[in-house]
This record gives sequence, structure tokens and C-alpha cells, in this order.
Amino acid sequence: MTPLLDVKDVQAGYGDMRVLHGLSLHIGAEESIGLFGPNGHGKTTLLKTISSLVRPTAGSITFDGIDITGRKPPAIVEAGLIHAPQGNTLFGNMRIAETLELAAFSKRASNGAQKRLDEVYALFPRLAERKTQLAKTLSGGERQMLSIGCALMCAPRLLMLDEPTLGLSPRLKEELGAAIGEISKSGVPLIVVEQDIEFLLSHRPAISGGAWRRRARDRPRERARP
Amino acid sequence: MDTLLATLVSGLVLGSLYALMASGLSLVWTTLGVFNFAHGALMMVGAFIAWTVSEAVGAGPVAGVVAGTLGAGLIGIVIERLVIRPFYASRNMLLVTAMTTLAVTIILERGAQMIWGPRLKQLPPLVDGEIRLFGNAISAHEALLLVAAPVILIALWRFTVSSKIGRSLRAVGQNQDSAALIGVDVPKAFALAFAISAALAGLTGALLGSIRFITPAMGSEPLTKAMIVVIFGGLGSLGSTAGAAYLIGFIEAFLVLWVGLYWTPFALFLLMILVLLLRPNGIFGKR
Repeated sequence: MTPLLDVKDVQAGYGDMRVLHGLSLHIGAEESIGLFGPNGHGKTTLLKTISSLVRPTAGSITFDGIDITGRKPPAIVEAGLIHAPQGNTLFGNMRIAETLELAAFSKRASNGAQKRLDEVYALFPRLAERKTQLAKTLSGGERQMLSIGCALMCAPRLLMLDEPTLGLSPRLKEELGAAIGEISKSGVPLIVVEQDIEFLLSHRPAISGGAWRRRARDRPRERARP
Repeated sequence: MDTLLATLVSGLVLGSLYALMASGLSLVWTTLGVFNFAHGALMMVGAFIAWTVSEAVGAGPVAGVVAGTLGAGLIGIVIERLVIRPFYASRNMLLVTAMTTLAVTIILERGAQMIWGPRLKQLPPLVDGEIRLFGNAISAHEALLLVAAPVILIALWRFTVSSKIGRSLRAVGQNQDSAALIGVDVPKAFALAFAISAALAGLTGALLGSIRFITPAMGSEPLTKAMIVVIFGGLGSLGSTAGAAYLIGFIEAFLVLWVGLYWTPFALFLLMILVLLLRPNGIFGKR
């Protein structure tokens, strides 16, 4: 079976600084993985490279059998490969409802946008309560919900979440964890980047762990099956 | 009383003019984070294109205004492509593009001088006749400007608030990466914002072309005023820019009455410096 996402020997970085030194990773259509490791080990860079915010200098990325290496970000979103970035402030001067409506921007996502909007509000009732609030006035947890909500509005076929629980209280973490579990159960494959291994492990069945180790050639070491 | 009303009307005309100019400048600033110093030159080119189509070709002033608007918009797309897009990733984008757009201004002004020559030109008014406003006679063309400016500003505002494309422009202005991650084509959004802004400048030039003379340097004074307006308003929303435009228009009209034409620019700048000292984020900007 061909994997849904296949990252092969990817090298990428910022200017002269190379962060990924030939990294490979693949994920099947039915699975979800977690990536963990300390700061500065290229987890975020990997996601940025997959979503093409950072252009790889070598290697290839295939999504659903199609080579997407070096394609523009909108083309990747159109294909359904969605990245919810870290510590997201989104669009500070936009209201929640406006942001979520806008997030269904791609042609593919505009189909059934209303249904997905209802689903997002059902998943995060707090967003429904604050529809007209500006994003910059939201708390960290609410921003994270909005960020994930936006990603869901893009109609993801594979969803990459970058540290969804960064800086959140244990209670909010629990709440978000449950929501992420729901998303996984609804059949969307996930790649979740976390520093909090406890969080990832507590959501096994939904997310299988994958360790990240810094080596001469960075690559995920292994994927422990639950 | 008559002088007061006449001054108010004159302020309203100036305010409409500045609002049209400054809204385009502000759109580029909020979307791209770039100050377009070629905005005045684009206005001038719009006026010359309008003159060519209307007078030299003989297609009439309405066709002239349309051609001036579209022509300036197209040139805007070319400018964005050639001298702004290559510097998106540059850390000094603001400074570099200040220089490149200044260079474009010089090219456009010299180019206009070569193409259209030094003779003063003027467009016929879009509508003939006079209209009485508060007991003052103003030309129907100026009255048209008074109506057109708010209509265009409201249309632009509705576009950025309600339409998908307009919202995507605001999104790009607030967070480029996040906009790209929901599928917005950021370079395309930049080009569109620049095109709309340039078209607005061209339209202003074409309308102004029958009030003032069309010369290669005609854009520099409105550009300075539009910059004052945008900074005065607080470098932000369309609403504050429009508000500041009318405020500056009225202030200028009254300054002309009180201190005379000669000292008015000086007094305006002095006022702007004072406002920025007291409210560093502009008169409508949030503290």
C-alpha cells in the first residue's frame, strides 16, 4: 500500500543554516503519529517544509501518490494537507466567525463549509459563544481552538498540529486532547508535534508515538505501535 | 457666514480627494507593509492616460476616466512585479521598497515628460454646469467627486469586510504564514492589493485632471498629503484613514483662510508633528 504522506531524504533549513539533514518519514492513510523531542530539533521545520512555508533543498515529498515537493502552499492546502502552526495568533483583527469562514478558502474546502463550521462549533462550544470576538482578544487556549478550527475548515485529509498544547493549563490540555481524539476518531489522520510526551501517550489509541532523535542524519527513530 | 460655508465646502472637496488617494496608500501599507512612494506618480499617469484617451483619441471624458483607472492599475501590477516582489523575503523590505518606489516615481515623471511633453493639459469636466451647495456655487464635477469618494470608500470597505477575496487581503496583512496555510496565494494577494491601490490613484488623477492642470509633477503634492493623512489617521484601518482624510481636508481649508496659502503646508506638518507627539499611534490609532 502506498503511504498517504511520504517524506524522502528531505533537506531544508533557513538561509545557510540547515536544519533537516536528509529526513525520511511516512504515514499511512489510516494512521496518526506523534512526533516528540526537545526544542530546536527541527520538528516545526519539518512541518513547515511539508506545507511548503520552507522550501526543501533536496529530497522529495509525496502526498497521496502525487509529488508535492516545492509546490506553492495554496496547492498543498488544495490537496488537503493542512498544517496548524505553532503558537498561533492567526489574524488578530478578525472575528472568530469571520476567520473560520475565511479558512474554507480553497476550492475543495468551500464545498460543505457550512456543515464543517457547525462541526467546529460543536467541537469547540467556546468558539460558538465568542463568534464576534476579535482573535487578538482570545486566551491562549481559545486561540489554539481557533487554530485547530481553522485547520478543520480547510477540509483536511491529513492534519498536522504543531504543539497544540504549548503553554496551556492541565485542564485546557485535557479539553484539547479530547477534541484531538474526536478529530482522529472522525477519520482524519494526524501528525501531532509535542514536547509533552505524557500528553501524546495519554492519547494513544488515537495517536501512536514516534520518537525524534538528533543524529548526524535527523530522522524519526522508530514508531512504537500502541 | 458665507466664508465659513465656502471654506467647509472647499474642505469637503479636498477631503474627498485625500480620502481617495490615502485609501489606496493605506491598503498597500496594511497588506504588504510597504509604503508606496510611487502612489503620486501613478495618480499622474492615470491623469495623462485619461487625457490621451479623452482628448488625443477623442473618446470623451468618461472613457478617459475608465482608461486612466485601469491603466494605472495595470502599471501598478507591473511595478509590484518588478520592484516589490523581488524583495518580499528581504529583512529590509520597507527601506528597499521605499527606494525602489522612489526610483519608479522618477522614471514615471521623466517618462511622462518625454511622452506627453511640457505643455499644461487639462481634462474637460465629467459633468458640466454648477451646483449650489450651502449657498455656494461649485462645479458639478467637484460635486461628483464629493459623491464618488464616499461611495468608492464604502465599496472598498465592504469588499475587505464581506467578500472572500477582500477578507483574504486583510488576512495576508495580519499574518502571511497563516494566510498561506489556509490556502491564500500570498503573492497574488499582494499583486491584487497593489493593483486596486494603483487603480484608485489613477482614478483620483483622472478626476483631478479637470480641476487642476495635468503635469508630470502633479502627483507629488497629493502624495505628501496622503502620507500625512495615513500617518495622522494611525496607519491602520480604512475607516481611520478616511476620517483623517476629511479632517485634514477641513483643517487645510481653514488654514488657507487663516494663515494663507503660503504657510498652510508648514502649519499642516507642524500640526502633524504635534499630534504624533501627543498620540504616537495617530489620531484614531489605539494607544
